[in-house]
Amino acid sequence: MNRIAAATRLHLISWHGLVLWPWGILLSSFLINVVIFAAIGDQGQGQNTPGGLVSIYIVVFVAFVQLVTQGFPFALGLSVTRRSFYLGTALLALGQAVLFGFGLYLFKLAEDATDGWGLSLRFFGIPFLTQDNGILQILVFTVPFVLAGFAGMVGGVIFQRWGTNGVYTLMLTSIIGTGGLAALITWQQQWMELGNWFADQPTLTLIVGWPILIAAALAGSGYAAIRRATA
Amino acid sequence: MSPVVNVHGVTKRYGDVAALDNVSFSLEENSIHGLLGRNGAGKTTLMQILTGQNFATSGEVEVFGGHPFENESVLARICFIKESQRYPDPLKVRHVLQAARLLYPGWDQEFAETLVRDFDLPLGRTVKKLSRGMHSAVGVIIGLASRAPLTFFDEPYLGLDAVARQLFYDRLLADYAEHPRTIVLSTHLIDEVSDLIENVLVIDRGRILIDEPAEDLRSGAVTVAGPAPAVAQFTAGHNALHREQLAGRARVTVRGAFGNGERDHARALGLDLEPVSLQQLVVRTTTERTATATKETSR
Repeated sequence: MNRIAAATRLHLISWHGLVLWPWGILLSSFLINVVIFAAIGDQGQGQNTPGGLVSIYIVVFVAFVQLVTQGFPFALGLSVTRRSFYLGTALLALGQAVLFGFGLYLFKLAEDATDGWGLSLRFFGIPFLTQDNGILQILVFTVPFVLAGFAGMVGGVIFQRWGTNGVYTLMLTSIIGTGGLAALITWQQQWMELGNWFADQPTLTLIVGWPILIAAALAGSGYAAIRRATA
Repeated sequence: MSPVVNVHGVTKRYGDVAALDNVSFSLEENSIHGLLGRNGAGKTTLMQILTGQNFATSGEVEVFGGHPFENESVLARICFIKESQRYPDPLKVRHVLQAARLLYPGWDQEFAETLVRDFDLPLGRTVKKLSRGMHSAVGVIIGLASRAPLTFFDEPYLGLDAVARQLFYDRLLADYAEHPRTIVLSTHLIDEVSDLIENVLVIDRGRILIDEPAEDLRSGAVTVAGPAPAVAQFTAGHNALHREQLAGRARVTVRGAFGNGERDHARALGLDLEPVSLQQLVVRTTTERTATATKETSR
C-alpha cells in the first residue's frame, strides 16, 4: 500500500497542471458563454444550455494519457513496480473524480441560486443531468470523470506497451467495430429501436451505471497490458 | 561475502539477434563492480533485466534472493541510474529529488543537497531544459543519495566534464566507504574508473568474456616488448591477446602471471615487461574476439 500511495504522490509532485488546466479551460469556456449570452440578451427563451461542460472531461482524459506516457518511464526508473504505478494512478483518477465532481456540484448550486447567473444559463446544471438528490447529482458529475481518467490511462498504457502502432490499431479496430455495428443496425432497420432503448434508460443508468461498467472493464484491461510494458 | 545477484544462463533475444547469450555470473555484496564492454554489447539490457524493467527470454535471475520482476521488496533496494532516463515534462530538478526521496527508503536529503551544491545544479529549472551534463548530474545525485543497497550506474556521466566526473568518483568512493553497498558501474571510460572497481565484468556481443577481481586482472597480463625472436621464445605457450611487430621488434600482450624468476629471465633476454592497463586489456580481449569471430564468419 505504501508504494501505491507513493506512486499517487509521485503524480501530485507537480499537481498544478492537474488542477489548473482542466478548470482553467472549463472556466474560460464558461466565461465566454456568460459574455455571449449577456451580449445577445437572450433571456426570455427559457434555458440556454451550451455543451462547454464536456471540455473538463476531455482535459482529464488527455491528462491521464500523459500521466502514463510520461510518468511510467519515470516511475519505473525509480524502482516502482508496474502494479504500484497503475494502482497509484487509478487511485489518483478516483480521488480527482470525486473532488472535481463535487466542484461541479458547487458550481451547479451557485448556478441554481442565481437563476443561471442572471442569464438563464444552464452551463453546469444541464437539465438532462439534473438530479434532485445532492449525492446523486455529485455521482452524475463524478462517474464520467472516472471513465475519462481510466480511458486516458488505458490509452497511455497501450502507447507504452505497443507504441504508435498500438494506438493506430486501437483506432482502426474501433472504427471498424462501430462502423460495422452502424451498418448492421441500418441494414436491420433498428435505429428506431436503439433510440427508444436509449430514451428508456434513466439518466442514472446512462450516466452512472454504464460508465461504471465500462470504466471497470477498461481498468482491468489496462492492468493486464501494463504488466508486460517496458519503459 | 555473499552474492546479491545471481544470473544463470540468461538469454535475451530480439528476433534473430541475441542481445544476451547464455550469460551467467554473480555479484558479491558490498563491492564495486565494473560492467565493461562496447556499445551494443548488452550492458544496458542486462541491467534492465536485473532491475525488472525488461524480460529475459530464458534463464534465471535472482536479486536479493528473489526475482526482481514486479517484486516490491527487491525493487525497493535497487536504484538504476541510466543515461536514457526520461522525466515528465513539467518536473523541475527539485521535484525529481522530491520523487526520489519519496521512493528510496535510504534517501539522505542532506547528502543530496550537498551534491546539488557540488554539481551546481539549478533546483528551479525544469529537467527538460537542463544541459546534457546537468541532466546526467541529476541521475548521479539520485544514484548516490538514494544509498540503495544495489545501485546501477549505466553510463551515468554523458556530457559531464572531467572535473564533474572526478567529483562523482570522489563522492562515490567516500560515501561507499561510509555506507558500503553493491555498486555496478557501466562505462566505456575504463581508465578513469579502473582504480575504483574491485571486480570486472567484460561483456561483448551478449557474452561474458571476463569475470575477475580487478587486482587479478591487472597482475594477470603483461606486455612483452623486445627483439621479435626473443619475444616469441618468451611468450610461447602463453595466451597472446595482441601482437604488434615493427622492424624486428615485437610487442605481445599475454595473459598469465609472471613470477620473479620469469622476470629475471625476460631481462636476460633483453625484454621489457610492461604492465597492462585495464582499458588495454578490455580492448585487447574484445578485439581479439571480434577478429576471431570475423575469421570464422568469413570462412
